[in-house]
Amino acid sequence: MKRLLWLVGALLLLSGCGTEMQRYEATYWDVFDTVTTVTGYAAGQAEFDAAAREIHDALLEYHRLYNIYESYDGLRNLKTVNDQAGIGPVPVDTRILSLLQFAQTAWTETGGRVNAAMGSVLALWHDAREQALEDPDRAALPDRSALEAAALHTDLSALELDLEAGTAFLTDPDTALDVGALAKGYAVEQVAAAAPDHFLISVGGNVCATGPKPDGTPWTVAVENPDGGDFLKLLYAEDRSVVTSGDYQRYFELDGVRYHHIIDPDTLEPAAYWRSVTVVAESSAAADCLSTALFTLPQAEGQRLLDQWGAEALWIGRDGAQVMSPGFSAYLAS
Amino acid sequence: MDKVRQQPPESGRAEGLRPRWGDWLVAAVVVLVAAASLAAWLCRDGGRPETVQVWQNGVLIREVPLWSDVTFTVEGAYTNTVQVSYGKVAVVESDCPTQVCVHTGWQRYAGQTIVCLPNGVELRLVGGGAEIDAVTG
Repeated sequence: MKRLLWLVGALLLLSGCGTEMQRYEATYWDVFDTVTTVTGYAAGQAEFDAAAREIHDALLEYHRLYNIYESYDGLRNLKTVNDQAGIGPVPVDTRILSLLQFAQTAWTETGGRVNAAMGSVLALWHDAREQALEDPDRAALPDRSALEAAALHTDLSALELDLEAGTAFLTDPDTALDVGALAKGYAVEQVAAAAPDHFLISVGGNVCATGPKPDGTPWTVAVENPDGGDFLKLLYAEDRSVVTSGDYQRYFELDGVRYHHIIDPDTLEPAAYWRSVTVVAESSAAADCLSTALFTLPQAEGQRLLDQWGAEALWIGRDGAQVMSPGFSAYLAS
Repeated sequence: MDKVRQQPPESGRAEGLRPRWGDWLVAAVVVLVAAASLAAWLCRDGGRPETVQVWQNGVLIREVPLWSDVTFTVEGAYTNTVQVSYGKVAVVESDCPTQVCVHTGWQRYAGQTIVCLPNGVELRLVGGGAEIDAVTG
């Protein structure tokens, strides 16, 4: 009996050894127009703070570079590229070039469902949403003929990248870039690659884990219910990214109809297939891109994209029905 | 005739197998531990959050018990009207431009948040047993 007690004591000591890591959390409000939460395990507050600050500062740089609404002193960003459309090539940071290369890949591989050249169409919906939220009495849909005219200028091949000269150029003056479906995921991907292990980065529900918790257990990521109330699913993530596209947060209402922010490139109207789509993928960039693509596609076509990219998805139908891709259940907690 | 006398020859052993007070005690302890574990497990699984934390610009400015009936405002660049109503919380009114906070609706589970980005406000439901590290949606 005595020997047993010694053994238990020794085991307890051993298990305590080397796992002095504590859990910390930091929240930021100034990147990608959403709330960013960095959760991580570190040996002490100072060590965590340094890592979290590095993650935040990098995200802030990406936020400024990929911004299409704001200009910053001494910085050429995507707004500069849009402003110079039809005028001339703009020398840009390599982080812009690599995002735009990814945008070209995404455009080709999703058959145009994710199109960074939809800026002119999306701007009309963006303005309509802002106006409706500001003054619901003046809520109005974008003019159909304006949408159709804008849709004539959504060909991403108007984007010319010169990697040697380091320039980006929109050859058509009426084409505009909007990287809303890509930028967050791509930035999180780059930032997470440089972050320490045992971190979980969430940029507005765009969640990326840099490895399990120090004790080897996975992170638990809850999937929001589009109708509110209890979470739909709890997922385990160790070194995966989880991204959700939904119709229930950014929207405006007109005559009792909800107009959300993910526009179907075919109809030029808010996509009408799903309430939400959650994608789990190895890369945050892929998960972000796929969640948007799948939101604008029927299930079978979405599944083809998942197979192509090696990702899994949970679709929530308009009737609330839950559909999972064949491998999705591997990520379910419990 | 006495029943004991009708026992088979090895009645001595049968007598030994009869539960004694100590056995009842052990059984009672086992049942109690099982019931307590079950209760603890149920509480953990269906654990309700206890508190609404109000964060503004990264600072915890207020904590409200979730099981209460209060309405208050959070002032900043804009004004959020927050209602706590017996286990649930919502931003019922806001003059912010996006209305994302109002659209989020009633929240009632640990780990859930309501965010008003323009006002720098985050409402967090904490306590209870849920162990959630992040929310996607």
